[in-house]
Amino acid sequence: MIPYFYLIAQALLIPALSPVCIGIIRKIKALMQNRRGPSIFQPYRDIYKLLHKDEIISADATPIFLIAPYIVFATTLVVAMSIPLLGTFLPTIGTSDIIAVMYILALGTFFLALAGIDIGGPFGGFGASREMTISALAEGGLLFSLFALARMYGTTDLLAMPQALITMPTNVSIMLVTALSFFGFSVALLAENARYPFDNPATHLELTMMHEAMIIEYSGKRLALMEWAAANKLFIFITLGANLFFPWGIATTTNILAVILSLGIFFIKMTGFCIAIALIESTIAKLRLFRLPNLLLLSCIASGIAIILTTLIA
Amino acid sequence: MIKLESTEHIVDVVRALYADDHLSFKTITAADERKTSGCFKIFYLFGIKGTDDFTIPYIELRDTETFPSVAPFIKEASDCERKIHTLMGLIPDGHPDGRRLLLHETFSDNTYPLRKDFTKQPDDKRIESKPYHFTEVGGEGIYEIPVGPIHAGIIEPGYFRISVAGEEIVLLEPRLGFVHKGSEKLFEKILLSDAVRLSEKISGDSSFNHSLAFCTAIEKLGDITVPLRANYLRVVFAELERITNHLGDIGGILLDTGFNFGGAAGARLRETMMRLNEELTGNRFLRGVNTIGGVTKDIGTDAETKLVEHLATLQKDLNEVIAIAEHSATVLNRLKTTGTIPPNAAQIHGARGVAARCTGIMRDARKDHPYAAYARLDHVIALEQIGDVYARFHVRTKEIASSCNLIRDALQKMPGGLIQQETTTMHLRKNAYAVGVSEGHRGENMYFIATDAEGKISRVDITDPSFFNWTIVGMTAVGNIVPDFPLINKSFGLSYSGYDV
Repeated sequence: MIPYFYLIAQALLIPALSPVCIGIIRKIKALMQNRRGPSIFQPYRDIYKLLHKDEIISADATPIFLIAPYIVFATTLVVAMSIPLLGTFLPTIGTSDIIAVMYILALGTFFLALAGIDIGGPFGGFGASREMTISALAEGGLLFSLFALARMYGTTDLLAMPQALITMPTNVSIMLVTALSFFGFSVALLAENARYPFDNPATHLELTMMHEAMIIEYSGKRLALMEWAAANKLFIFITLGANLFFPWGIATTTNILAVILSLGIFFIKMTGFCIAIALIESTIAKLRLFRLPNLLLLSCIASGIAIILTTLIA
Repeated sequence: MIKLESTEHIVDVVRALYADDHLSFKTITAADERKTSGCFKIFYLFGIKGTDDFTIPYIELRDTETFPSVAPFIKEASDCERKIHTLMGLIPDGHPDGRRLLLHETFSDNTYPLRKDFTKQPDDKRIESKPYHFTEVGGEGIYEIPVGPIHAGIIEPGYFRISVAGEEIVLLEPRLGFVHKGSEKLFEKILLSDAVRLSEKISGDSSFNHSLAFCTAIEKLGDITVPLRANYLRVVFAELERITNHLGDIGGILLDTGFNFGGAAGARLRETMMRLNEELTGNRFLRGVNTIGGVTKDIGTDAETKLVEHLATLQKDLNEVIAIAEHSATVLNRLKTTGTIPPNAAQIHGARGVAARCTGIMRDARKDHPYAAYARLDHVIALEQIGDVYARFHVRTKEIASSCNLIRDALQKMPGGLIQQETTTMHLRKNAYAVGVSEGHRGENMYFIATDAEGKISRVDITDPSFFNWTIVGMTAVGNIVPDFPLINKSFGLSYSGYDV
């Protein structure tokens, strides 16, 4: 019974914490540009503000446009109940398999793209077409990197993975597989979450946008949901990155103190990810659109090699 | 000095000046002189390089409203003739493009605001909008993206019709005129003191250089000799304005590549310059500084020291930023080979300012037609050869350095004395014409002013460099991918207001 309680707590915790992640990245970026920047809690205020605003919906909108934000947000909630954040003891509700998690997220992306095209505006179509290209190419890297882990741990259940890693001996081949697949995963993380060098989350140039272009027609409550879902998705990817590749410190028992300690350690890891993302976004320019496939291919190859190397372990 | 001559064989004369004598084509403009001389006049302005002299052949149109077009052999004249067609109602015979330029479809067909008998129409006379025909591109998979006129950022309004095949731009057609304010007409109606202020608002960030060109022309008409100190001060302020805006553009280019550090640095440095401007003159945009007969603000010894110190800090700071940007492979990858101006396009279509100099064309009004104290100072014209975004970026960094040198040089050579000539007894010459030029941060600003029989301003023609450079932007975008267009556009840094006047 207690594990299920934790599962529900986690499903509430992820949306509650995800905006702070965006806030931390923005804050670090601002500091790196010699700016003071808004508080790390600004994204909460933004969501609160948007939730209280009226909506403008195009006369051309179909029901797809109206329901898409709910679907996109819901997929992140389902995934939030399928990943190892609070501990290794979480019970599976049948959605914690690698493939299930990936394609539940893909379902969200699919509806995001549909919503982008729905109004028929010029930028939504552009954004959707670019997003689909990028996300199709990123899929290989992401899937392969998780497959490498799956082969190494002998399970495709995300919830069981950290436990498996903790109990594994440390040797060179395991570290190599982890490093390669982590590289593949990181590139996919940036691509899937519309971060540099793929997309500029802070841009207002309508012709260069991807994610922002798809949600350009949204306003008010639905925009809040879309923004919130994007924050959730980033948080989910960071959780996967932190707890699958660096699972040390994750709680293995349902003891409340152990869980709180594990959450504290997770925060340190999360901040590390945020710093890394902010550093990338402050030090490089966005890549030219047609150079992005090269990078994604690299991620795919690295993960592919990682899969081959797993045979060494076995 | 300007040389005006009336001719019947305008096309041959103009062709000879342009193709044989290689004079620098400035603009074509028209004046309604039906009341005084019983005719419309079309002026063809050519500049003689290295001097302040202009050759202006003109044609008188009596009992006719058509004039021969020179656009078929002077490509850069094309939009000048369309503007005359739209605003003055004179038809360029043989012009390939009969569409209106600045007035949108809500204006009725026979509205010619620059004619003397034009009266302001009440708004209810505006007619139903008719469609405007953009050039259409056919073929499989080609589709059009309409962009603007309202953009996602806080910028001026402008509409772009982009025809693309996938992500590649096949055709880009800018459509402007959304901020047409009737400034040229307004100049005919207002007091001279207000006219200086109006010239500062033609293109807001280029306030000083626009008003400088305007004041220079008026001073020629009023036979005013500007005190030497004022001329040097004008150089100082003009260069301050150039530095300020170039910093903004450099930051903007870096920001549009997504290099946030560079973007923030550009905005920060520009702000330090604007604060310096405010400290020196009381206005961040250097407005209210120019006046007919000189300038209103002097630079004292303390301010001079402060200015020189500030420039030294600025240059050191900027060089660090540029070095960091140059060190980033991803930034260079975005800047280089992006938005290369097609071969000869800058020459043929009359690029001005940065757009010309980034392709190796030596075109700089400070050298071509020395005004203020530029003849007594020297600077190297900033040149690049390739014509891509990177070249335009570096024309600007070089110009900031040369502007700093010009300011230091000017402060050193500046004599004491008056900063403003008394103009209370000034009378403008009657039935006369004058040209004033200045090199703003975008390129050459030009004012062509005519007076009537009472010595009042009867026509002011404004040429902002953006008027010519927008055509170049459209041509440059072709072959690039859509997400690079904002970067290309920013690298030109053109004014919408200056085009729309």
